[in-house]
Amino acid sequence: MIREHEGIIYKISRVYFDQEEDQKDLYQEIVYQLWRSFESFDDRSKWSTWMYRVALNTAISFLKKDKSKVKKVSSEGLDNFRMEPFDPVMEERIEWLYKSIQELSVVEKGIILLYLEGKRHEEIASITGFSTSNVGTRISRIKEKLKRQISN
Amino acid sequence: MELEEMKGLWENMSEELERQKLLTDKMVVQMTRQKYRDKLSQISLPETVGTVVCFAMAAYALFNFEKLDTWYLMLCGIISVAFCIVLPILSLRSIDRMKQINLGKNSYRETLIQYAKEKDRFVKVQKAGYYLGFVFSLAVLPVAGKLMRGKDLLLDAKLWIWYIPLALIFHFLFSKWVWKHYSSAAKGARNLLDELKD
Repeated sequence: MIREHEGIIYKISRVYFDQEEDQKDLYQEIVYQLWRSFESFDDRSKWSTWMYRVALNTAISFLKKDKSKVKKVSSEGLDNFRMEPFDPVMEERIEWLYKSIQELSVVEKGIILLYLEGKRHEEIASITGFSTSNVGTRISRIKEKLKRQISN
Repeated sequence: MELEEMKGLWENMSEELERQKLLTDKMVVQMTRQKYRDKLSQISLPETVGTVVCFAMAAYALFNFEKLDTWYLMLCGIISVAFCIVLPILSLRSIDRMKQINLGKNSYRETLIQYAKEKDRFVKVQKAGYYLGFVFSLAVLPVAGKLMRGKDLLLDAKLWIWYIPLALIFHFLFSKWVWKHYSSAAKGARNLLDELKD
C-alpha cells in the first residue's frame, strides 16, 4: 500500500521542505510512520484519508526537530529521490509551483495540498479536523494569497 | 497562475509520478529498519549526560545536607537541589509529550495545535532555564565550596568581588542572545495558534 501511494509521500515531502536532504529524511520518516501506525488504521475510515492524516501529521511533528541534531539517515536506495526531469518548461513550472506553496503558512500548506490532490471540501475537513465551511473559507483566502504572490 | 491552473499542473505531475515508481518492497523494509534503529538511538547523549550529572549533583548535596550548617548555606543548597531536579524533569517531560502525538488518530488541526503549544511551552522552559541559571550559578558555588572543601565561600569577600560582576556580564550577554533567539520562535507559535482559531 505504501508503494501504491509513494507519489503522495514524495509530494508532501517537497511541499514542507525545500532542501533535498530534509525532503529525503521526511520521506523516510513518513514511510516508517505509516508502517508503525498501521495498527491504528480503522477499516471504517478510508485508507487514503488515514494515510494523508499520518503523512501530514508526520510532516508537522518533523518540523519540531532541530535539524542540526537529527542524525542523517543513510538514504540508500533513495539516491534518485528526484523524479526524472520533465521538459524544461514543465520542470520550471513545477519548481515554481512548489515554491509558491512553500510561501504559504504551515496550516495552508496541508489544505492546499489536499485541494490540489482533488479532494472535496468534506474530505479535506475530515482529514484536517476543520469544519467544511472553514475549509472553503481557507481555500478562498489561499487563492487570494497566491494571486497577490503572483502580482508581486 | 490561477489556482485551477495550478491544479492542472499538479495533476500532470501526479500522473508522471505514478509512472515513475521509485520504491521497491526491499527499500520500504530497509527504510523502516533504518528508522527503527534511529529511534532507539535517538535519546541524545548531551541530554542524557546532562540529566545524570544533575541528578548526581542533587543526590550528593542531599546526602551531605547536614554539612550545610548555616541558614544561608541551606537556602543555597535547597535552590541548587531544586534546580538540578526540576529542570531535567521539565526537559524530559517535554520530550515525552512530543512522543505522545497519535499520528494515526489526530487530525491535522489537532497536531498543529499540539505543535504550537509545545513550541510555546518549550520556549518558556528554555527562557526560564537560562534566567534561573543565573540564580543557580550564585547558589551552587557556596554549596560546592562547603561540601567539597569545607569552606564557607560566602564569607570570602574577595571571591565575590570578581565572581558576581563576571556572572552578571556573562548572563546579561547570554540573556540578550536568548531573548533574540527565542522571541521569533514564540511569535511563530502564537501566530500559528491565532491562525487555527479562525
